[in-house]
Amino acid sequence: MTADFILRSALLGLLVSTQALAQWQLPPLPEPELYGNILINRTSTKNGVLPATFSHWSHRSKYTCRVCHLELEFNMALNSTPITENKNKKGQYCGACHNDKIAFGHNSKHCGKCHNGNIRYGIENADKLADFPETPFGNRIDWVKAMNTGLIKPANYLNEQYEAVTFKKNLILESEWSMTPDAIFPHDVHESWLDCSNCHPEIFNIKKKTTKHFAMSYILDNKFCGVCHGKVAFPIDDCKRCHPKKK
Amino acid sequence: MSKNILLAAILLVMSAVFATAQSAGMLKKKVPRGEYGNVIINNFSEKKNIAPVVFNHWLHRAKYTCRLCHIDIGFAMQAGGTKMTEADNNKGLYCGACHNGKEAFAAEEKKLAGLVVRPECDRCHSYGKKVDFHIDFSQFTEDFPKSRFGNGVDWISAEKQGFVKVKDYLEGFSIKGKSLSYAGETELKAQAEGMPDIIFSHKKHAVWNGCELCHPDVFGVKKGATKYSMQEIFEGKYCGVCHGKVAFPSLDCKLCHSKEVM
Repeated sequence: MTADFILRSALLGLLVSTQALAQWQLPPLPEPELYGNILINRTSTKNGVLPATFSHWSHRSKYTCRVCHLELEFNMALNSTPITENKNKKGQYCGACHNDKIAFGHNSKHCGKCHNGNIRYGIENADKLADFPETPFGNRIDWVKAMNTGLIKPANYLNEQYEAVTFKKNLILESEWSMTPDAIFPHDVHESWLDCSNCHPEIFNIKKKTTKHFAMSYILDNKFCGVCHGKVAFPIDDCKRCHPKKK
Repeated sequence: MSKNILLAAILLVMSAVFATAQSAGMLKKKVPRGEYGNVIINNFSEKKNIAPVVFNHWLHRAKYTCRLCHIDIGFAMQAGGTKMTEADNNKGLYCGACHNGKEAFAAEEKKLAGLVVRPECDRCHSYGKKVDFHIDFSQFTEDFPKSRFGNGVDWISAEKQGFVKVKDYLEGFSIKGKSLSYAGETELKAQAEGMPDIIFSHKKHAVWNGCELCHPDVFGVKKGATKYSMQEIFEGKYCGVCHGKVAFPSLDCKLCHSKEVM
């Protein structure tokens, strides 16, 4: 082994660690009322209409995640769902509810309610949430508590009549670093919003004791827990909610 | 060993770790219902400058049992594992067992305006082409009982209720005789505490598979002797040989983990 090699390895190591450090910067959070808001623009602009604004908080207070992300087949990644005007009008995707029966219809009267290109659209409606239980980050609303105390009663199914398997096990995820207390994972809280298949087996395989493959750096990169936490579910700034013993 | 090779090896390992990390922890793109179970067969096609075959399981399983193709006709269970050739098909083997102009359409030559054409080729060798398949998935399955994943069709009920009639015998390939009836249900203990146990129905499986598609290769016959985990099933082994590829995917926990938790 030569000095040259050692130098090269050290440089490589430095490069990797600076990248890791850079990843540890938590991304800036939007205003609480805008957290989880998205502008959907897969084909809108191309078709000469403004992108559709979508607020997760207004939808999640009425429907669980699984209704849209399983039953209605919305993907989790922005602009990856093949939503079209035609499909909406046939009752698929947004049109499953936005049909003038459940919610305002996908018709010329209401275009601007979604296709306005304004991510802040309807922000004043967030006032309705003023009395909701609080958390320090994200929408600053403790959605789990809001559901458990009956403040919101999101429907878990739209057309399907289905009773999913219940699996209540709480997992303790051993921390990789001695300074960080273990993380907890409650299946039941997640089950009240999601279907097993929303996470298993693609995001999380079901092998026990495999915390190594979902280190925090991956979560920050929107993988594993970060598929939802950091986008719609509470962001990982809220250390204590998963690492409850953290000081 | 030169230091460069060592350095290259380190970089290679690092990039491999990075590559695994990139695909892990994310959701794959959803397969459209009409494409679930589709297999692209390209052992020789492109080498002969023909478009690869897109084989749809959904239409074939609506007419034939799994066993008929995978046992009697001898198709492997792995995509591309059979390696049939045009000559085989012309001799009446593999696809040619049915696609002979009698049981199903054949790739025969026709004279059209003085030209020799083979208009049916595209119906199988369709990869990357716009083809009129004559049968549309959504229309075909419209009235079928529904399920949540895969093709979105509850094939078991569809067969039971007569929406599909699956043929289990093909002259020249199948053996006449009464099949063994074993209607037992087996209970399998779930490994994870709190997870409902599995009720495995031999009867439901035998309609499509007979005995020989699973035993003894995929599953031994001694009770409890074949040990397997959900992880292995997700990796395409054991139940995953079919479930997750053609039969309903193992995402619908309750279809198997159906015993009530006491």
